[in-house]
This record gives sequence, C-alpha cells and structure tokens, in this order.
Amino acid sequence: MIRSQKFWIAVCAVIFAAGLAWSIILLTMSHGDKVTVTRDGVVLYTLDLSKEPDREFTVEYEGRKNVVEIKDGRIRVKEADCPDHVCVRTGWLTAKIPIVCLPNRLVIEYADSDLDAVAG
Amino acid sequence: MDAKRLTRLALLTALALIIFTVELQLPTLAPVPGMKLGLANIITVYAVYSFSAGETAMILVVRVLLGSLIAGNMMSLAYSMAGGMLCLAGMLLLRRVIDKKHIWVCSILGAVLHNIGQTCAAIVLMQTSTVIAYLPFLLVSGCVAGALTGMAAQLVVSRMNK
Repeated sequence: MIRSQKFWIAVCAVIFAAGLAWSIILLTMSHGDKVTVTRDGVVLYTLDLSKEPDREFTVEYEGRKNVVEIKDGRIRVKEADCPDHVCVRTGWLTAKIPIVCLPNRLVIEYADSDLDAVAG
Repeated sequence: MDAKRLTRLALLTALALIIFTVELQLPTLAPVPGMKLGLANIITVYAVYSFSAGETAMILVVRVLLGSLIAGNMMSLAYSMAGGMLCLAGMLLLRRVIDKKHIWVCSILGAVLHNIGQTCAAIVLMQTSTVIAYLPFLLVSGCVAGALTGMAAQLVVSRMNK
C-alpha cells in the first residue's frame, strides 16, 4: 500500500482537510473573558477583560520588551522589539488562538472556558 | 568527495540562501508564527531526489545556519532546525516509496513534517502546549506551499536529468 502513489496523495488530502476543519473549529470556538499572560512557561497575569481598565504594561524577557495594551475589554501586543513582530501583527486577541511572541517567549491566550464555568 | 561534487553542493547551498534571502523581503500573508512559503525548500526537495542523504543534509544544515545569520534572527534557529531535520528525515524515507513523477507529494509531506517539527520545538521552548493552536493553520499553508515548491522541484529534477 505504501508503494502506491495514490495512497500518499490521499494522505496529503486528509492532512489538508483535517487542518482546515481544525482551523475552523479553533476560529469559531467560544471563549470567556479571562486571559492569561504567560512568559517562559510562567503565568504572569490572569486578567478578566470585562473588568480590566484600559491600560498598558510591559513584559520583559532577557532585556527585550513587549508592550501589552488592554482597551475596551480587548488585549493585544502594541509594541515589541523582537525581529519578526508577528505578535504585533496578530492584533487583538479574538479567538482561541493565542498571541505568541516566539523570540520573547510570551503567550497571551484565553483561559479555558471550562475553568470559568467551575470558578463562576 | 571530488571537487566537482563539492562545487555542485556549494552552488546549490548558495542558490538556496539567495532564494531564502529574497523570500525574507516578501510580506507574510498571515500573522502566524512560522508561516512562510519556504521557497528555499525547492533546493532541498531537488537535492533529496538527486543527491545522497548525507549530501542533502549538508546543504540543508548549512543553509539553515547561514540563513538564520543572514536574517539576523538566531532565536528562530531552533524552530527552523527542528522543522528542517524532521522534514529532511521524512522526505529521505519517502523518496524510497514516492517516485519522481510525484515529487510534489513528497514535498507536501515534507512541509507538513516541517510544521510539526517547528511546533514541537515551540512547545518545548515556550513550555506551553497552547502554541499547538497554530498547527492547523500551518498544516493548511504547508500543504499549499509544499505542493508549489514541490512542483517547482519536480520540474528542475526532470529538466536536469535530460
């Protein structure tokens, strides 16, 4: 079977379809208002966006900085001095897809909605 | 290794670096960490089907190392290397079962393995599994980009062998 070219084409098709379906699920998944800001595997802040005032704060990693902005109950990385700026270009946190700064090891994500239900 | 072979490998590495550097200037389509066309992989895929495993590995390792230096982004080296190695290992195995008329299929699977490798590196380095949320987007883009670079490589392989 693994010598068949069609088998490998089918494998590609399955991976593509699975990736597409998984992406759509992630984009449409519901989330709460609780957000965690994690640096290098350590949770720095747990924030409830519905209660947070508009403000900015800086997270440093090995001398490099990410400026995080909270405004109107939304959160984003406003400025960063990493080389790629992917985190800034991600924009506001909208779905269950975290904002990630790989060089500065920063992750901003919605906390598990299941935990919210238990806590709330 | 004779001088002719060494020169060919050096030329291919230089070519891959040029493609890599040119691609750095292209704007990224979506702000997903690690998402890119990976045009330099045309060279890797071509090498997989034209050179020995060791020679292909040499081209890839030198390209990834020098590429990170050129990009001035040594922090991404771990991700590129993890992805590159898994991709290479996978394609070297797949070349035994996927013929030269289906190089694009091998390239897609290589791209997918690259995405899995870089995501694993990110999970280890960031010490969080949440970055896996980017994997589905990388898989979709990897399939498309892998097919395109694979078709380009297939064209090169068939023309070079004439």
